[in-house]
Amino acid sequence: MKSISIYLSLILHRTDLLGPIHNFLLVFLGSSLILGSLGMVLLTNPIYSALSLGLVLVCISLFYILSNSHFVAAAQLFIYVGAINVLILFAVMFMNGSEYYKDFNLWTIGNGLTSLVCTSILVSLITTILDTSWYGIIWTTRSNQIIEQDLLSNSQQIGIHLAIDFFLPFEFISIILLVALIGAIVVAHQ
Amino acid sequence: MMLEHILVLSAYLFSIGIYGLITSRNMVRALMYLELILNAVNINFVTFSDFFDSWQLKGNIFSIFVIAIAAAEAAIGSAIVSSIYNRKSTRINQSTLLNK
Repeated sequence: MKSISIYLSLILHRTDLLGPIHNFLLVFLGSSLILGSLGMVLLTNPIYSALSLGLVLVCISLFYILSNSHFVAAAQLFIYVGAINVLILFAVMFMNGSEYYKDFNLWTIGNGLTSLVCTSILVSLITTILDTSWYGIIWTTRSNQIIEQDLLSNSQQIGIHLAIDFFLPFEFISIILLVALIGAIVVAHQ
Repeated sequence: MMLEHILVLSAYLFSIGIYGLITSRNMVRALMYLELILNAVNINFVTFSDFFDSWQLKGNIFSIFVIAIAAAEAAIGSAIVSSIYNRKSTRINQSTLLNK
């Protein structure tokens, strides 16, 4: 059992050992992300649309595991899929049954104009991404780093930086969550 | 090449989120597309943190904060939706429904 866990941790810490498995999983997750987001837009039933959002969130969480960010993957799975998606499904189920069919995807002029604007945003972003020389930036940042913390895992490094460098935002986030909870209860109470 | 593919994927999710947010007539669908936008931004942050910043992980930490803020905003958004629905329907262009 311990040998299996050591083997798995060795594989998870070195994604350059995986190679073609990494590429195949990346292509698979990317295609399921594309299909899930298209399903969110095109499905008219809001419950199907919310379940398709759940699929997108799970695929993003697996994608974070491939990017060596295990803590963010677990946080995404717990918070987004387990809490926010369930909350959205509850809010969808509050709606009356007769309201589902008032929400037809009628292709109005506003829809066409918005799709034009969004396609232009997408094309400009893709042009900017493909025009930037990322490998120049990698060389300049890698030459400035000091190779120290190579033996700690990803979660341990996040814990260290949250407790030392980012302590004040951490406390403010807890206050924000408390205020949001009190506000939600007060609004829903009326 | 890998970095550019992931950034193009996140740009695609972002633009679909913006399209859905503007053209949704229902407030719950608008909340769903807003979560999609925030997730696209999170993919960007985590990818940059993985490729450029393996020592201080600033992108990872900021994406944890974005997840926390998104949770707070989803809770308040659904509270507002349920309190609007107690009065009338959930169409967006009737925004005076929270008045007493």
